[in-house]
Amino acid sequence: MISRIRKALENQPAIKAWIIRQEISRSFQQYDLKDRSEAVREVDTEIYTVDVLCDSEDSEGKISSGLGTVSILPGGDIESTLEKAILTAQLVHNEPYDFAAPAAIPEIELADPAYQKDPEKELGRVLATLKEASKAYPHVRLTAAECFGQERQTHLVSSKGIDASQTATDIYLQWVYIGGEGQDEVETFAEIQRRRTSDLNLEEAVSRQAQSTLDLVQAGKPQSYTGPVVIQGSTLADMIAGEMLSGSLLGTLSNAGLKYSGETPWEVGKSIFRQEVKGDDFTIWANRKLAFGVPSSAFDKEGIPAQRVPLIQENKLVSFIADQRYAYYLGIKPTGSFGCMEMPAGNTSLADLQTGSYVEIAEFSWFNPNRLNGNFACEIRLGYLVEEGKRKPFKGGMLVGNLLDALADVIWSSEVGFYGNYLGPRGARFNSLRVTE
Amino acid sequence: MTDSLLTPAMEELRPDLGEVVSLLETRAPYGAVCLSSREMTQYMVENNQERVIPGEPTAGVILRGFDGQTMRERCLGGFDREKVLREAKDFIQGVEFAGNGKIDPGEERVENFQTKMERDPALVPTREKLDYLREMNQRVNQFDSRIVNARVRLTEFREKTVFRNRAEDLAQDIQRVHMSIIVTVMGDKGVVYDTKTKCGTAGLEILTFSDEELEKLVKNTIKLLDAGRIEPGEYTVVTAPGVSGVICHESFGHGVETDMFLKERAKAVNFIGKRVGSELVDIYDDPSLPGEFGSYSFDDEGLLAKPTRIVSKGVFERGLTDLYSATALGIERSPNGRRQDLTRKVYPRMTNTFFGSGETPVEDLIGQVEDGIYIAKISSGMEDPKGWGIQVTGHYGFEIKGGEITEKMYSPIGMTGYVPEVLSSISAVGNDFGLSGGYCGKGTKELVPVTDGGPHLLLKARLG
Repeated sequence: MISRIRKALENQPAIKAWIIRQEISRSFQQYDLKDRSEAVREVDTEIYTVDVLCDSEDSEGKISSGLGTVSILPGGDIESTLEKAILTAQLVHNEPYDFAAPAAIPEIELADPAYQKDPEKELGRVLATLKEASKAYPHVRLTAAECFGQERQTHLVSSKGIDASQTATDIYLQWVYIGGEGQDEVETFAEIQRRRTSDLNLEEAVSRQAQSTLDLVQAGKPQSYTGPVVIQGSTLADMIAGEMLSGSLLGTLSNAGLKYSGETPWEVGKSIFRQEVKGDDFTIWANRKLAFGVPSSAFDKEGIPAQRVPLIQENKLVSFIADQRYAYYLGIKPTGSFGCMEMPAGNTSLADLQTGSYVEIAEFSWFNPNRLNGNFACEIRLGYLVEEGKRKPFKGGMLVGNLLDALADVIWSSEVGFYGNYLGPRGARFNSLRVTE
Repeated sequence: MTDSLLTPAMEELRPDLGEVVSLLETRAPYGAVCLSSREMTQYMVENNQERVIPGEPTAGVILRGFDGQTMRERCLGGFDREKVLREAKDFIQGVEFAGNGKIDPGEERVENFQTKMERDPALVPTREKLDYLREMNQRVNQFDSRIVNARVRLTEFREKTVFRNRAEDLAQDIQRVHMSIIVTVMGDKGVVYDTKTKCGTAGLEILTFSDEELEKLVKNTIKLLDAGRIEPGEYTVVTAPGVSGVICHESFGHGVETDMFLKERAKAVNFIGKRVGSELVDIYDDPSLPGEFGSYSFDDEGLLAKPTRIVSKGVFERGLTDLYSATALGIERSPNGRRQDLTRKVYPRMTNTFFGSGETPVEDLIGQVEDGIYIAKISSGMEDPKGWGIQVTGHYGFEIKGGEITEKMYSPIGMTGYVPEVLSSISAVGNDFGLSGGYCGKGTKELVPVTDGGPHLLLKARLG
């Protein structure tokens, strides 16, 4: 079908440039409810997405570029769908730009051979491992689990000469633990997304979640507090790199599209913070080359090859993350899509971060700072007040502050971890944050 | 005038679906087939750029076999008759269905439903839509020179569905539209934004904005530059309908989706027939509300839309079900079986969920507050069905002094509390009513269109 679409595009003189993306995916989904299988699903899809770029005159007679994008399902009407794309492209008026030229595309490991070999068996093995590992914690009950796997093949060709293919897998696992009894019952919910099953680190994840469930049973009410706050693991990764529901503040403010629209105050060469940095210096890369990173890719939807982009170095913005169009507009090198957040290891051990009196936050209800200024007031699902070496769990209350201000006064751990979209310190001690009752 | 009910490929396959159901039921106690086509297109105009962005469409066939124990589904892209028949045979071969499933297929019924609209987006040229957004962008910008961007976004969603089991042959064509205006202003203290949204199950005719609405949006955005942080503590609070709706959605919405009962994730299961709030509290879910963003004629499992009373006079009555959870729990189904698209499973989901209106005029309700906070705009919420904690984040609110809303603005405002305590603290319910639309996930996935809302409420809560 790609060749038919290509031929149809080449017969259209109005088109300045085009990209075709073919995506074929096959997924398996298993849903367990206590000791029985609730649902089993198998899904096959195939879709062709076509971007066409046309130049036309705007209402003032200036040359402008317009993008028209359409999707075609197998058996769909290619000619009439492409006409719709061209019409749209001619009606949309933006500053002129062009699509990406071919460039060397690196090999990035994105697919799990164990899953590809026998998807159903591998998902079954994951669920069996989860159940078996959970048995080691008799005071918690596993009441539900969902495990999905998907293999997606992408083939991209463009009028500029790009012809590239990649295959990626996605593994998603969630489960529910119940702890306590009667009116004192509590639940915890775990959710992990990775490219391969071996990165789920199930034994460790089960141990952490089971302990959180037991601690939640014992959790008391929060106290008002201002002082050091320690955050670790996937909760820290979500704060920095964003989670599945919301993007990351750092990703938003470093986006070239937002720079072009005037909505980010960040400037290359200047500190991203509005105050003096009191803690460790902040350095981060946007890394789409990270093997088995969930947002990693050999090439993005425009065909731009994977890169490891220095984003922030010693608190100063080094580069905006730009697709082809905004790179053109801002006169910078295109980076393609963001990829994973990568940070260097800190200089302080996790053990040293956890000294003296402090609050540790194990889980938020949802850490969702304001997407442009970083202000937040987020409910604490499970935290600990640590005094004289004793950890007292609490539930409720809010962590209140501003994420950028918090990142300007933090100590990072020397131990690093990988959490799907984040590779960096496993722990951080924010020197002064406020917990409200 | 509206577009055709189904796509030609769906129309062509529909008459053969009875044969497919019969084939599935040669082995499965209950078989059903669904044809699904979902498309989305977004049109966006900003101060210095414009775009038309289609979402990734899904179109295909869902084959379903159920024995009361396990729901099995096979989903195929496209509407090829021979492929569907072949896959239906393969799908049921080798599956050990339990023989004891007695699933009611509903009453015999053949019906077609289509969204009533004056301006079907499918029949309005792209040029006209873009010109309207360009005009809207200019109207917003004229109010203040400090605006760095006014992002005007129109989104159209088209869902065409056929549901077929041994008794029912239903089709619906749903058109949803959503328009948002996001105004961004940059000041010395940083960047702030505010939004104004209108949406519904309707045509483009509902997406009009008055100058007064746009001016208020810009004024609130400018005001956010000087908004302060609220001193944490317990407050007397008045919630605007959009904020009331999120309290309702996160407390007796997610927490009464009955898959949560089966997974032991919901505290509400122990409170059926018991008091959970003040006598002033009524909560409903209703997919049959005309024109609302979460409305439809039948759910993704073929059950016709009708209202469900969840809480009556402060007493929890019942939850929201899909076919699976109703079967497992042995309770009557409610029409809440929904899937994001054909690639995803059906779950019990909310539709239009709201507090029932009361009798207190809004001015009187605010007039009762000597010292408190009016939470005017919602930012987000998150459910805690087992712990019954509430996390609601208000985008901004205002101080109330001496029974009047002042100009003093706070942003953001976090609201936390224990659901029964918050609902029991409701001491007055406004005689007004409003719904706000958007997308709701289950956890972090499974997005479906919903609304939530209700009247203004007077209550006590912890803010921070």
